[in-house]
Amino acid sequence: MGQIFDEQAWLAVAPMIALSAGVCLLLLLDVVAGAAPAILRARAPLLLASVVAACAFEIRALGTPAAKVLDGTLAAGGTIPWWGLLLLASLLVAWGIGRGYYREEQKFLIGHDCLMLSATVGMMLMAGAQDLIVFFVGLELLSVPLYALASFQRSRSTSVEAGVKYFVLGAFASGIFLYGAALLYAGTGTVSLDRLREVGAGSPLALAGAALLAGSLFFKVSVFPFHLWVPDVYQGSPTPVTALMATGTKAAGFAFLLSVAFLLPREALGIVVAIALATMAAGNLGALVQTDLKRMLAWSGIAHAGTILLGIAAGLAGDPVRGGVESATIFYLAAYVFTAGGAFGIVAKLESETGRAVTIDSLRGLAKTRPGVAAAMAAFMLSLGGIPATGGFLGKYLVFSVAVRAGLVAAAVVGVLLSVVALGYYLRVIVAMYMLPATEEQPSGESRPWPSLFAATACAAAVIALGVLPGFLLERL
Amino acid sequence: MPLLPLLVLVPLLGALAVGLTPRGAVGMQRGIALLAMLLAGAIGIAACVDFDGASSSAQHVYDAAWFTLPGESGSIPVHFRLGLDGISVLMVGLTSVLGPIVVLSTFGHIGERVKEFMVWLLVMHAGMLGVFLALDLVLFYVFWEVSLVPLYFIVGIWGGERRLYATVKFFLYTLAGSLVMMIAVIALVWRLGTTDVEQVLATASTLPHGVQAWMFAGFALAFGIKVPVLPFHTWLPDAHTEAPTSGSVVLAGVLLKMGTYGLLRFCIAPFPAIAVAAAPWMMGLGAAGIVYGALLAMAQTDVKRLVACSSVSHLGYVVLGLFAMTQAGVRGGVLQMVNHGLSTGLLFLLVGMIYERRHTRALDQYGGIASVMPVFALLFAVAMLSSVGLPGLNGFVGEYLILLGAFEAKPWICAIAVLGVILGAVYLLMATRKLLFGPVTRAENRGLPDLNAREVLLSVPVVALIVWIGVAPNTFLDRTSGSVNALLVRIQAERNAAAVLETGSPRSARAEER
Repeated sequence: MGQIFDEQAWLAVAPMIALSAGVCLLLLLDVVAGAAPAILRARAPLLLASVVAACAFEIRALGTPAAKVLDGTLAAGGTIPWWGLLLLASLLVAWGIGRGYYREEQKFLIGHDCLMLSATVGMMLMAGAQDLIVFFVGLELLSVPLYALASFQRSRSTSVEAGVKYFVLGAFASGIFLYGAALLYAGTGTVSLDRLREVGAGSPLALAGAALLAGSLFFKVSVFPFHLWVPDVYQGSPTPVTALMATGTKAAGFAFLLSVAFLLPREALGIVVAIALATMAAGNLGALVQTDLKRMLAWSGIAHAGTILLGIAAGLAGDPVRGGVESATIFYLAAYVFTAGGAFGIVAKLESETGRAVTIDSLRGLAKTRPGVAAAMAAFMLSLGGIPATGGFLGKYLVFSVAVRAGLVAAAVVGVLLSVVALGYYLRVIVAMYMLPATEEQPSGESRPWPSLFAATACAAAVIALGVLPGFLLERL
Repeated sequence: MPLLPLLVLVPLLGALAVGLTPRGAVGMQRGIALLAMLLAGAIGIAACVDFDGASSSAQHVYDAAWFTLPGESGSIPVHFRLGLDGISVLMVGLTSVLGPIVVLSTFGHIGERVKEFMVWLLVMHAGMLGVFLALDLVLFYVFWEVSLVPLYFIVGIWGGERRLYATVKFFLYTLAGSLVMMIAVIALVWRLGTTDVEQVLATASTLPHGVQAWMFAGFALAFGIKVPVLPFHTWLPDAHTEAPTSGSVVLAGVLLKMGTYGLLRFCIAPFPAIAVAAAPWMMGLGAAGIVYGALLAMAQTDVKRLVACSSVSHLGYVVLGLFAMTQAGVRGGVLQMVNHGLSTGLLFLLVGMIYERRHTRALDQYGGIASVMPVFALLFAVAMLSSVGLPGLNGFVGEYLILLGAFEAKPWICAIAVLGVILGAVYLLMATRKLLFGPVTRAENRGLPDLNAREVLLSVPVVALIVWIGVAPNTFLDRTSGSVNALLVRIQAERNAAAVLETGSPRSARAEER
């Protein structure tokens, strides 16, 4: 025990411990609150304290050399702290936009916060896992809280439906993962990524296992043809939960996908590229016909997953590209966390003001009534579309540049042309906000004090900062 | 003090200042915008005056590290690098002159959401200047796309009836080209390991020819859409017609020039061998654009659309001249970019002024305006004659040089292009007759007030430049000579190399012919 838990190992698990401690304290708070309800006011500070502590540990770990800790089951140092910070940012954004979002569920909010925290612990475990079993623990630690969170608004039937749908399909995907891991174990005799790297997934049994593994990961990150659950679940879930799913889950899934990509043989390159392009096509074309904003963002999230997958495919092509792939993916996801998170934040704000789903039509005239909100939303849309001076542009540039370096020029050209389609629907949002007159009665002008607006504003600032001063992040990756 | 970053910064600061004003303070917003444009214009013109045309190297260079991209061998630094050379100097001058004029013109037709409009106008101004000044490939690309967004809003919010169709079409058309160009930029940066434009220009021709050809195609597609070169021109009449006057002026005056500027800077200059091979095709497209644009213009009954179609025709000349790749052709092409900005810009301004009075653009609603609005008629005649290419005005110099250069290179293509000169005279003179002369047939036109002081004031600098370039073009041409000569030397070297190949090996000679 003593040797296993060296200093770096402690540093690697410290953020997870901080978040878990937050969970325990929040639960204690819930117990005490029966006697003294005033103590519930400590909920937000307590959660923030645990997240800040986790961030502090991650920041301390920045710049430490990459290593394997805890008997080679967990990665530490290198890019891992960046992944951690990315996931914590995603948690903060999702939690921030949930402030004031829930009306009827007030007394369960402690549970909500605990579930969000433990889902994030699961994500961090997924991102760092160097062992299939550890990854699976992380996956379940993420999935089970999310099933509950998706159906958190029990009075809304769509929310319950989303939870059930996510649960059934997610459980299925978990099963597939386990099956794949079992086959890999049968073929190679190990579940450790280090050992798998040495042995290689050459045997048919192991290859079949790797394929199943890839399939279940594709499910989590919403890649074609495993993407069909996304629109329904994203639309039905409470918006803050959607934000966490869209950004955090995706990031954690891609982090692990990067570390197991070596299991796929080089010959799979063509297939992965085809899947990536199909995902982009499906996502963009699906989004093009949506009228509900949340659903449109869900489809657009699928398209973004396709773009990231194209970068990962490029990593399969050759070693020199591989280092670039990870930094491109992290940057892309960092921009995406703030962009999509912010967009969902604005959706959340409008939803809770009107009490209705936000359609693109209902945004008409927003630029006049709420210039600030409209401007932030426009920035998010342009960033999702990859227009410069936003983080989305450089993310796109980096991902396509690893693709070009790997020789996937034709795929890159098809990819960028598909993102022209994407602008077709991002622009519709801007058109509605800025260029069409308001038709229906506007969401009541009386604007409640709204803490979540802070989250959206911070997101907008981060999106612009990543676009104008990308070096801050890019040069450290 | 570094002039060029200040030149980009001043409009941006102006936009920020306008953004901070209270919503109703229209006067303040207009004042700040005009002040920022005047200041930026003064800086821009100062930079252009303090410019040594004989030298081919970039001047007033400002360089600051921006960030680094991961590259094959170590990281590739991206710089915020601005500079002025013989190819960009006239464009920067043109942009600087048009800036304050455009702001002045908005006083007449932008009454709603003035604050937003001024912000977009200033951001667009900074973006366009950035495109011309950028000496870093990634920075160029960033400015290129940034300058796209403001016009999208300007057309979409303040445009005419079909503004949404026009603005989305404009945005998606241009973006499709830009994104293909992004792939070319990525490939170029990766292959050469640098983003510095001067280094790229110097080393891109060492790449294998096949790779160069694809990159050339990627860049040419983006610029061709922007110019627009013939098969990609359909977005332009829509965007022009639906844009508010000031949007049209910026679009015709400067934004389209980003396309022709790009063709010269990033297609011909880095890939001279490919440009030599592609020249007949590009010249052919240019000539086709001249004739087709003129025929389109002839068929229009909407005066604004007519001017828009004439843009297609006039920019055909520029493409023709640039790809003639002779001394006369390239210099004429560069000068014609300025000429088109001035004459078509003025035409749009004047059409806008009369639209503000009558709220129609249909030619048959007018007639005999010369007797009601003599000052307007005089200015319109000057702009029209400059556009036709009357000797003594600017259009003549540019068109003559271009046709001369094209004749030296490909006489047959030149012969087709000359048709456009005749057709140009036909449609412009016809439009002028319908608009200005004859009896006043409609009662609404009788009481039209002539141009006011503001409208005259904003037209006068343009007219002055039109005459100045017509009479003494060398003031302007001399500033381009250093860079253009350096470029032509390299092209000649490529032609010689091709000729050696031709005599040396018959197979490659056939390939060249094809």
